[in-house]
Amino acid sequence: MHKLEELKAVAFATYKEWSVYRTHSMVSMFVGPIYFIVQYYIWTAVYGGADTLAQMELSQTIRYFGATVLIGYLTMDFADWNLQMLVRTGKFLTFTLRPMHHRFFALSQKVGHRILGFFFEFLPCLLIFTLVFRVDIIPEHLGWTAISVVLAFLMNFYINYCIGMTAFYLTQANGIRVVYQLLAQVFSGALIPLNFFPPAMQYVMMFLPFQYTNYITAMIWTGGDNIGGINLSVPQAVLCQGIAVIAAYLLSEVIYRISMKRFTAVGA
Amino acid sequence: MKYIKMYLACAHTAFSRAAAYRADFLLGSIITLLSNILFPLVTVLIYTNGATFPGWTMWEVLLIQSVYSMSTGAAAMFFYSVVWVTMEHIREGSFETVLLKPVSPLFFIASSNFDPQYGGLFLGGLVLTIVSSAHTNISGLSGILQFILLFTAGLAVMSGLYLVMAAITFKWVGNARIPEIFDSIITFGKYPAGIFPRGIRVLSTLIVPVSVIGYFPASALLGRLEPMAYISLIPCLLFLAFGIWIYNRMIKLYEGVGG
Repeated sequence: MHKLEELKAVAFATYKEWSVYRTHSMVSMFVGPIYFIVQYYIWTAVYGGADTLAQMELSQTIRYFGATVLIGYLTMDFADWNLQMLVRTGKFLTFTLRPMHHRFFALSQKVGHRILGFFFEFLPCLLIFTLVFRVDIIPEHLGWTAISVVLAFLMNFYINYCIGMTAFYLTQANGIRVVYQLLAQVFSGALIPLNFFPPAMQYVMMFLPFQYTNYITAMIWTGGDNIGGINLSVPQAVLCQGIAVIAAYLLSEVIYRISMKRFTAVGA
Repeated sequence: MKYIKMYLACAHTAFSRAAAYRADFLLGSIITLLSNILFPLVTVLIYTNGATFPGWTMWEVLLIQSVYSMSTGAAAMFFYSVVWVTMEHIREGSFETVLLKPVSPLFFIASSNFDPQYGGLFLGGLVLTIVSSAHTNISGLSGILQFILLFTAGLAVMSGLYLVMAAITFKWVGNARIPEIFDSIITFGKYPAGIFPRGIRVLSTLIVPVSVIGYFPASALLGRLEPMAYISLIPCLLFLAFGIWIYNRMIKLYEGVGG
């Protein structure tokens, strides 16, 4: 209960802090629909008269890209950038003195930041997709989709936190961050549904963290039963995502404990 | 002549700086290159799944996208830093230090922030353009001359876009997401224009001529240039002129509030 109070307090403060820059978030009201329009025409042309490509119908592919945009607004995270900045400048020291785990503090911040994203990015784009583009973007399995979005939110956070912790060893972790973001762009399914990759690669990607931050959730959102190259059902896909989140959490805890032994607060 | 000498001196300094931190420079160049060749990967995956952009082979579409990469790489070397440096000066209220210099502020920022790191993207695009051209039927010398003309026009559009972005930062202070708006608009130049409806084609040819960044130069090489491409040369020049004008105009509105 005390933890929940802490989370609410930090999330609220972050919400207030970032709402000063709400017009920055509102850029998404332009960028999201433009991205969607481009994808709509690309895939309409690519499908031509074909019923399905890579086991996906055109309508599902279009819904997939709409869902990807919306999921991005709910799960967007920069814990990696924030943490590496705190370590590099030595400011992380102030967090080690607080009676609160920094990871929980960062997670609470993200909750507040994404609540802002919900109001100024997600909702406007959802309305534009539904009312202007007339896309049936409401999730097929609302409950499973909600669970999957929460898991994608956590997965994105824990993985980014692990990336951020490389700063304890490298001090300047920008290169690692950019490389990870590049890989994530491809293997999270943000550019193209992973169904378009060769089957062997899709199988391998089940054991990598990337697809649990976007692809799995987007496929559940679109109601697909052709997930992951091995045709996982929706509950099975959510279960895999849950296991991946637990693994990412444990990994972040292990790295955190090892890192704390070598943190010297240089630069503070 | 004075300005050319100054620009060359700044470019020389930028290369010296890159040589001093060569590991960082190489890593940065490779990352910039990799992040921009992801779009061709999507095209390859589409074609390997048996689908096509109607009327275009995979190598023809890759040619459009590699020319696009070349164009963005070349323009970014000269003007992309103007966006970030201007934004930072405005946010910190330190733009006065630029205004005090005895040269045009725009020239000073552009020349002193020449970024050779984007050379990696340009060279990567060039290699992919050559490879893609080898797999397609290039239309001879006239096609190459048309390509050079349109590629130059594409550079004008990209440069104009960067200057408009930089100009916006004078009023929309510290918004690091401004480039996202323009990135989304220029996406229309990465694909065969025929896949878009007529309204978008007119917009991307005559109003914000992003088709000139990748699509038209590649079409020239392939010998399938539309007459509309020549008309778009005028808005390209106008766009660059508008970028320069709006940047200088916004300087007059600078209030130094962040300092």
